[in-house]
Order: sequence, then C-alpha cells, then structure tokens
Amino acid sequence: MPESLLLQIPRLLGAADSAGTPFRVDARLLGWALLTGVLALIMLLPASSRGWRASGCVIGLLSLGFLLSGVLAPIVPMSEQIVFWIVAAVTIIAAVAAIATPRPVYTALWFALSLLGTAALMFMQGAQFLGVATVVVYAGAIVVMFLFVVMLAQPEGNDAYDRITWGWYTKPVSAILGAVLVSLLAFTLGAMNQTTFQRPSAGATDVLHPAHMARFGGELFGKHLLSIELAGTLLLVALVAAIAIMIHGRDPVIAPLEGPDNE
Amino acid sequence: MHDFISILIVLVPALPLAAAALVAVLGPFVFRAWSHWLVVAAIGLSFLGSLVLLNDVCRRPDDRPARVVKLWNWTLVDGGAPASAQGDVGNAETAGTRAPFQIDVSLRSDALTSIMLTMVTLVSFLVAVYSIGYMHEDRGYWRFFSYIGLFVFSMTSLVSVSNFLLLFVFWEAVGVCSYLLIGFWYEKPSAAAAGMKAFLVNRVGDFGFMLGVFLIWITYGTLNFHDVVNDGGTVIAGVLGATRISAGAYVGGGVGLAICLLLLLGACGKSAQFPLHVWLPDAMEGPTPVSALIHAATMVTAGIYMITRCTPLYMASPDGQLAVAAIGGFTALLAGLIALTQFDLKRVLAYSTISQLGYMFLGLGTGTLAGISAGMFHLFTHAFFKALLFLGAGSVMHAMGNVIDMRRFGGLRRRMPHTYWTFLVGCLALSGIAPLSGFWSKDAIVASVHSKVHDLQHELSMRDSSGAYGPRTAAAGATAPAAVHPRPPRSKRQLERAANAYQWLYYMAMFTAFLTALYTFRALFMTFFGAEEIPAEAGDHAHESPRSMVVPLVVLAVFAAGVGLVLDLSYLNGTHPFAALLAKTPSLTGAVAATETLGTFHARVAAISMLIASAGVLAASYLYLGAPREVAALQEWMDFQPLLRWTDGDTIMRLGRQPWARAIRQTADRLWLGWLVNLVGLLLAVVLLVVSAPLLLGRLISPYRLSYHKFFFDEVYNAVIVGPLRAGATLCSVIDDWLIDGLVNLAGRVPLMFGSLLRSMQTGLVQFYALAMVLGGIVLLLAVDQHLSGLISQWLHHLLAFTTGVVNG
Amino acid sequence: MNDVTELAMLQNYLLIGALLFAIGMLGFIVRRNMIVVFLCAEMMLQGVALSLVGWSRYFDDWGGQMLVLFIITVAACEAAIALALILMLARQTGNLDLADWQDLREEGSPPYVDHLIPEQREPPAVWPRLTPAGKVPEVDEEALLHRDRV
Repeated sequence: MPESLLLQIPRLLGAADSAGTPFRVDARLLGWALLTGVLALIMLLPASSRGWRASGCVIGLLSLGFLLSGVLAPIVPMSEQIVFWIVAAVTIIAAVAAIATPRPVYTALWFALSLLGTAALMFMQGAQFLGVATVVVYAGAIVVMFLFVVMLAQPEGNDAYDRITWGWYTKPVSAILGAVLVSLLAFTLGAMNQTTFQRPSAGATDVLHPAHMARFGGELFGKHLLSIELAGTLLLVALVAAIAIMIHGRDPVIAPLEGPDNE
Repeated sequence: MHDFISILIVLVPALPLAAAALVAVLGPFVFRAWSHWLVVAAIGLSFLGSLVLLNDVCRRPDDRPARVVKLWNWTLVDGGAPASAQGDVGNAETAGTRAPFQIDVSLRSDALTSIMLTMVTLVSFLVAVYSIGYMHEDRGYWRFFSYIGLFVFSMTSLVSVSNFLLLFVFWEAVGVCSYLLIGFWYEKPSAAAAGMKAFLVNRVGDFGFMLGVFLIWITYGTLNFHDVVNDGGTVIAGVLGATRISAGAYVGGGVGLAICLLLLLGACGKSAQFPLHVWLPDAMEGPTPVSALIHAATMVTAGIYMITRCTPLYMASPDGQLAVAAIGGFTALLAGLIALTQFDLKRVLAYSTISQLGYMFLGLGTGTLAGISAGMFHLFTHAFFKALLFLGAGSVMHAMGNVIDMRRFGGLRRRMPHTYWTFLVGCLALSGIAPLSGFWSKDAIVASVHSKVHDLQHELSMRDSSGAYGPRTAAAGATAPAAVHPRPPRSKRQLERAANAYQWLYYMAMFTAFLTALYTFRALFMTFFGAEEIPAEAGDHAHESPRSMVVPLVVLAVFAAGVGLVLDLSYLNGTHPFAALLAKTPSLTGAVAATETLGTFHARVAAISMLIASAGVLAASYLYLGAPREVAALQEWMDFQPLLRWTDGDTIMRLGRQPWARAIRQTADRLWLGWLVNLVGLLLAVVLLVVSAPLLLGRLISPYRLSYHKFFFDEVYNAVIVGPLRAGATLCSVIDDWLIDGLVNLAGRVPLMFGSLLRSMQTGLVQFYALAMVLGGIVLLLAVDQHLSGLISQWLHHLLAFTTGVVNG
Repeated sequence: MNDVTELAMLQNYLLIGALLFAIGMLGFIVRRNMIVVFLCAEMMLQGVALSLVGWSRYFDDWGGQMLVLFIITVAACEAAIALALILMLARQTGNLDLADWQDLREEGSPPYVDHLIPEQREPPAVWPRLTPAGKVPEVDEEALLHRDRV
C-alpha cells in the first residue's frame, strides 16, 4: 500500500479538526495509538507464543505512549497531569493484563488492580463515595466472590480453553471493532458543536461541594428514593435466586439442568 | 315500433334460446326424459312465426322490401368511422366531423331471411321430433336438446341480423354449436377429435371472413346492411342498403376482389368447400340427427346465404364471381369422385353434401339472377332431401346396432319398408330425376351456367363487331331485359377466359351429375338390395324404426318430392314463385336484377341432365344389382391391377413360353437369327419393365386409391400443417418444462441458498452472537452519524482512486 | 477550575472510559473461560461508570453518580446469580469452557471443535532427591504443598 493511504487512515480515524469544536483530538496520533494498540492486543491475547507476547508488550507500551502524549488533553497544573497519567496508565495496563493472562485467578487480581485505578480516577473527579464504593463493593466483594468460584471450579488454571480462542477471525475482528468503537467516540465528540457543552451557570456547584456525602445522601434518598428501595429488593431477590439455583442444581433427583449430553 | 311483426322477428330466434337455457338449467334433474317437449315446442312455434313473417314479406309493397328492427345499441364510438371510405356515397362524413362507429343489434325481415327461417325451423322441427326416438335413453338426452335449441337460435339469428359484425358473431355461434354437437359423445376420442377438427378448420375460414369484414369497414365506412338515419337527419348508407344499391357505389378492382375472396374463404370454411372441406366427413362422428340438421340442411348453408346476401359486393367483381363458381364446380367434382368408393353410408352422404354445396356455389358464381335464385332454390330443396337421406341412414344405423359400413348389411328393403321408400324418394331427388325437387333445382343451376356461357360469348361477339358494349338478348324464349345496368368493364382477354372457364364448369357439372346419380344409387342398392345381411351388433334391433322416427321421414319425403313442382312453375306458365319471392330481397335488386328474365324453362339442358342422371342410375344398377363381378373388375381396373399384371415379370416369362413365340424362335434358329430374336425379346422386356416402373408409383395414386383415400387431403394437411404445429408445440412444452420451469425453480432455490448461508450464522456460540451484536451496533452508529458517513465515503473514494491508479500503472 | 480545564478533564475521562469499555468488550468476546468473560463484563461496566462520573461532574448533575451507584448494585446482583449459574454449568461438564455449550446452533450444522492447542510449557519437574542408604529422607512439607500454578 502506498504511503499516502497509510497516512490517510489515522487521519480518517481521528476526529475532524474543525474550528469551533471544543474537543481537540490529534487525529494522527489517535490513529497511531489505535493501530499500535490493536496490534499489541492481537499479539497479547491467548493463543500466542512467548515471543509474540513479549513484542506485544513492547508495542502496547508504545501505544500507551502515543495515548498519553498526544491523545489525552493537557490539564493545566502539571502535577495533576502527571498523576492522571500514572493512574490512567495503571488502569489500562491492568485491564490489558487481565484479559491477556491465561490464568483466571490472575485475571481477577489484575481486574482488582484496574478497579483500584478506576476508584482513584473517581476520587480525582470528586466522586469520593463512589470511589470508596468501587473499592469496597466491587473489588472487595464481587471480585472476591469470583475468586471463590474460580478456586472451586478451576484452581489450576491454564487449561486448554484458556490458551485458545474460538474461530480464527476472532482476535483481529474484535480488536478492530474495539478500535472502531473508540474512534467513533472520538469522532462524535469532536463533531459536536459548542452549545452541547454549555455548562450550567456557576452558581451551585453541587457536585463539588465539600459536604459531598451529605449532598450525595440527600440526593439519593430525596430524588431517588424509589430506586433505592427497588435496588434493595433486587438484592434480596438475587440472593434468593442464587440460593435457589444452588439447591435446584445440587440435587440430581430433582432435575439436572440442560447440558450438552441431554436435550 | 312494437307491432306484431317486429315482436315476431325477435321471438323467432328468442324462443329456442329460452328453451335451450331452461333445458340446460332444469334438464338434468327436473325434465330428464321430457326435455324434448320444451325445445320441440319452441322450434315449432318459431316455425309458425317464420310462416307468418313469410306471409308478411309476400304482402309487402315493392318499395319497402325489408323490415329492420333495432333492439339496442351495442357500441357507439364518436368519430370512429374511417377517415376515407372509398365506397363513400357521400354521407360517411358530415360537415367535417367523422361519422361514429356504431353497432346496433338489429334484426331484419326480408325475402331471403324469411325463406331461410322457414326452411331452418321446419327442418329443425322435424329433426328434433326424429331425435326423440333416436336419442332415446341416451345419457345426455337433455344436453342434446339444449344444444339443438341453442343451435336453432344461432342459425335463425344468423339469417336475421342486419350487420356484418353480428353476422360474424352468430357465424361463430353456429360453429360452437356444431363443435358441441359433433363431439356430443365426448368420451369417444374420435368424436372429440372430429369436433376439434371442425372447429379449427372453420376457424381458418373465419379468419378470412374477419379480414373481409375489416376490409368492408375500411372501404365502406359502415358494417350495417341497412341504411341508418342518424339524429342529424343524414343517411349513413348501409353496405347492402337501398341507397348504395341504387347508386351502384361499390368498389371494384383489387379491393373489391379482395373482399370477395376473403368472404369466399369464410364461406368455404363454413360450407365445407375446397380446401376446407376436410371437416365435414369427420363430422359424421356426431349423432345422425346432428348430421342431418347441421351438416346437411342448415349450418353448411350459412356460407351460401352469406354470399347471396353480399351479391352487390360480388357484382362489383366478376373475377370474384368466377372464383366462387370455380371453387364450387371443382369441389363438386372432387367430392363426387371421392364418394364413389366410400363404404360408410354416412360418409357417402357427407361427400354428397359437399358436392351439392359445390353446385350451389356454382350457381351463385354465375352472377346472374337466374343463377343466384337457382343456387338458393337448390339450397332449399337440398335441405329437404339431404335431411331425409341422413335421417334414413340414421334409421338404418339405429336398426343395425350402430353399424354403418355398407358391406356389413344388405337387402334391408323388406325389413324396413318405410325407411326404404323414403330413402328411395330422397335418392331420386338427389340424382335429379324429374319430377322430384332435385331435378328442378339442379337443372336450374346447370342451365344458368349454360346461359352464362352464352352471355359471355355474346358479349365477345358484340365486342368484336362494334367494339363497345351493347344490350344482350336473353337466352331462348325470353323477353328483353328491362334496363342495362353499367357493369365493370372487362378486356377481351378476360371475357374469353371467363367464357372458357364457365364452359369447363358446365361440363364438370354435367359429369358430376352423372357421378351423383351413380354413387347415390350405389348406396341405395348396397343397403337395401341384394341378399339380406344383418350384422351381429344388431341383436334384436333389426326392425323398422318407431313412429317418432318414421313420421319425419315421411314428411320430408313429401317435401322432397313436391317442393319442386309447387315452387317452380316454369313448366306450367313460365313463373317461378320461389325466385320471384327471392328477387324481392334488397340485395338482389340493383345490378343483378337486369340479368335475364326468370322463369324460362331450358328444355334442352333439362333433357341432357335427365339423360345423364338416368345413365348414372342405370350404371349403378348394372354394377351393384346382382353379383359383384363387374364392380370387382372395375375396381381392379381403377387400381391399375391388370396393367400391373401385364407388365409383371411372370407375364413376360409366360409370354415367352407360348407356342407361337416358340415357333418364331425355332424358325429364327433355323435361319441363324436366334440371337436377333433373343435381342428383340430382351429389348421388349426392358422397355416393358421401364415403362411399368411408373405404374408402381401409379399404384399408390391409382384412381381407385385416390378416391378411396379422399385424395390424401387429410394426410397432406397433417404433414404440412398439423405436423409442424405439433412439433412447435412440443418444442414449446420442452422450453416450458426445462427452461422456464428451470428458471422458476432456480429462483426458488435462491432463497434456500440464502437461507442456508444465513443459517450458518447460528453457531450456538454465545460469544459469536456478542460479536455480531457489536458489529451491528457499530454499523448502526456509523450509519446514523452523518459526519462519519461522509468521511467514510470520502475514504472509499480515496481507496477507489488508489486502486484504479494501481491498475492503470 | 476554568472551563477549558474542565473540558480537558472530561475529554480525558471519557477517553479512558471508552478504552476500558473497549478492552472489556475484547476480552468478553475472545476469552473462553466463563469466569474471565464475566469479569470482562464487569470491566465494561466500570468503563461506563467512569464516563458517567465524568459527565456528572461536568454538567453538575447528581444523576450520573446516582446511576453509577445503581450500576454497582445491579452488578452485584448479576454477579451473584451469574456465578451460581456458572457453577451449575461447570458441574455438568466438569470445566469452565464456554465453547462446550453450543446446542443453540442450527440443526444439522457442525459444532465448533478445537484444532490447534498451543503447547503448554511443562512445569519444572521436581525430582526427588535420593537419600543415602539408611537415612530417612527429609520431607519438605512446603514443597509437597507447593503448587507451581494457580
């Protein structure tokens, strides 16, 4: 392929640099970042040999570099920017590692790390309660639950089906689709006009109020009372359901669930 | 005007139609064996009505010879008339606006119509009564009478309508009824095939008729027979109306000849003339009353009726008239030759019908009033004696258990006396023996041809002497004609040719009369004389027919015997009531009226034809009464058998062994000339063998074989027309089965293939479904986002430019 | 913070959220272990949550954070039930392979079968150390219990 077309792709994948849009995304760099990212992921995901994985790591770091340097927007206080970069890098690297490792326990662990990164990002945005909730509920309860089940069902890890994927086209197609998704978002953001991002008048910046918890609670039990009650009921129902499934499935006399051997 | 006559004009066709409809609806379950009452009564009433109409026509003043009743307007298209009608009498266009295309359903009553109506309804009535006995206990009894009623309606309407288009409609209608009745016993494949053949051959004729009607429309601007006065007060002259006839505004030349020939083609189809005569013998598959009614008396006369009606058109084209006469004469001879060797009694009568119809065409083709009225008179009388003959044959067939091969029965005259005597009367009438009706009518035709020849020769001599036309003197013993009407000019050569042609036709007519007597009495002698022979199928049927069948026979015999004497009084006082009445028809006024007086009795011609007919009867009695030795010998001669025997190798060898031949050789040996004798003998043998070689071919087409196989018309038609059509149909069927069905099936397979393609997407893997969902979602987003889709199209353009750049190098 | 910085921050958070979502989606589709698939689903939810918090901060709307709370709640319920079901499924087949469950496919079409399975590195073998005659070997309890892979 001639060079001109190759250079066109990143430009076309990136957002249009039309004046007046509030978002500025460097199209070329976004394109390169996505390209290298796709390559890296394809090389990292299971059914790859050691050599591939190693070079995949290198290319992945390259992609991350593109991302951090060009794609992400600069934030004025430099310290903030560096912190953000570190947290973002940790999150992304943990996420990639979670899906790349062939051992499910390690997946859970990497995922927990990614959750921590997410929580940090939420802290940085002023959503302290949510950050804590992420760590406590998500990382602390849900991931732990997953770990319990993994250890029950597959403590060894690294089975055949962990090291391979179904279909020969899966990895490239899904990686490209992921890239397309991200570039779609970038495009759409870049194409929106000024008025969409008009912030409300700087009067009551409720969200960033120091008494964050009080306001959060007030909002939650004020406006969304019904939803809270429903959520609670949902939790109860889920609990009952989980127990029922276990009881139902445990006793072979009652009825075995449908499997590949019986229709 | 709804007076009595106009009501009658409508009722005469309508009553049989009503009867037919009622029997069709109620026949199967309500009437059953009594289905005949309604139809017979309706036809009888129609007959009485037509008598009243006849009476009314006789009483009419000369200036109002026709009565037209308009029932309703079928179609009216403003400005639909053709732009330029050649035969324009000046009224087709009114002040720049074109006349409308208008078809009215109108019935007329004039001399020709009422004569035809009377004959048709009378014969139909008698045949219907006969059918009560003949079709007794047939499974389709009610169906038969319904069809008969329908047929009578169609035929009476055909002769009553006053418009070419309607004439064509009822032309087709009688064809349909003929088809239904020929194939009445539809489970018999031969009957169904015969019905199809009749219809299809008729169709060829109808095609010609249609083209003729179109041509008339273009030429004359109207299709009505009668003059129509429209709202503006202007008169739209009908094709055969008084205005046009008195003005003589008929188109001659090529167009006129074309019209005449096309109408002649239609008439040939309906009246079974060459080359469309092949359907009539096969039509004998139908019940015998059907043959008597349709194929002897009524339907086949439609062609002659039509040509008589169109006389003014034919007067404008003498070549057309010559064509009519030539076709008629030729067909008469052809059919007569075929009838000589047939063994099926009904087939003999069928060919006899074709032959007599040829006579009628011959009469019409002379173009003189005498000839035309002779043709119509022959039609009238022929209806009676031919119907009589057919019904008699039906009676014989009924008694012999449906066997009609004359070789299988004989000597029936003592067993079936009534049938025999009536059949004899019919045979005498058909052969033209005085004083029965056939003599008067056939003699009139032959005489008219003879007169025509004289006329033409006279005109030629006038041309020679004075170089211009002049008044002609009529034939022996008549007064001078009233006025000379201008006729289309013809060159001397044309006149000579016409005179020659009519002369030949005269001789052919005479010879055909001999043949007619011969084959008619042959049939009579083979059936009723000789040793009594009953075929096995007869069982206990072999007795005289019931009264319902005999009474119509007797009635018809009386008519066949007496009609001539009553309606043709030329032997008495020089008048001809039938012809005088017929001459009142509007079509027969005008140009044709000035041709010769009527009612002259041509004694010389009558004597000659009587002699010839008697010779035929004597020949038949010599051959067929008594031992069949002479017939066998004649057949052998006609089949070239003796000639073949003479030129056979065995004969030559035997000749060589004769004593005189041996003596010759001995003397030659002594004179040392043996070799000469051998050489001469060899040469003679070679010559004889060479000469006899064509005889082998001749064996195939010997006169006997030609006659027996109907001159191979059916085989030729089969090979030339039916064969290729069948091959074409097979080809089309193959294309339909393989190509078209194949394409359709292929189109049906496409969704299947598509479906199987899509079915492979159901892998059962959850993650595949998730992938598909993501893909779909992204496509949706891409489609919705206009900015993006514009950019994508831009990118595709770039890609296209790039690829073309690579291709072009 | 001025508007430009706010905008920049929003942009960044949205991008990170999108990346998390994309990576989660990739893992959901590619991996065959049921647990890993569900963990990736949770990762997708996290990406969404991050975006929501970003929007909420930018537009000063509590709604985003409320939705994130409910997302967490529902994710918990979903995880509970999902894990119960996964355990039942694993009991049927004995492993956690998602490709074992293909019965929803079209009748008559062949199932997906693995062809190439990459080699697995053999764990370093632990050879027993032979003791001299007459000596009782030391049993290393830890080594016995050692599991190379988890």
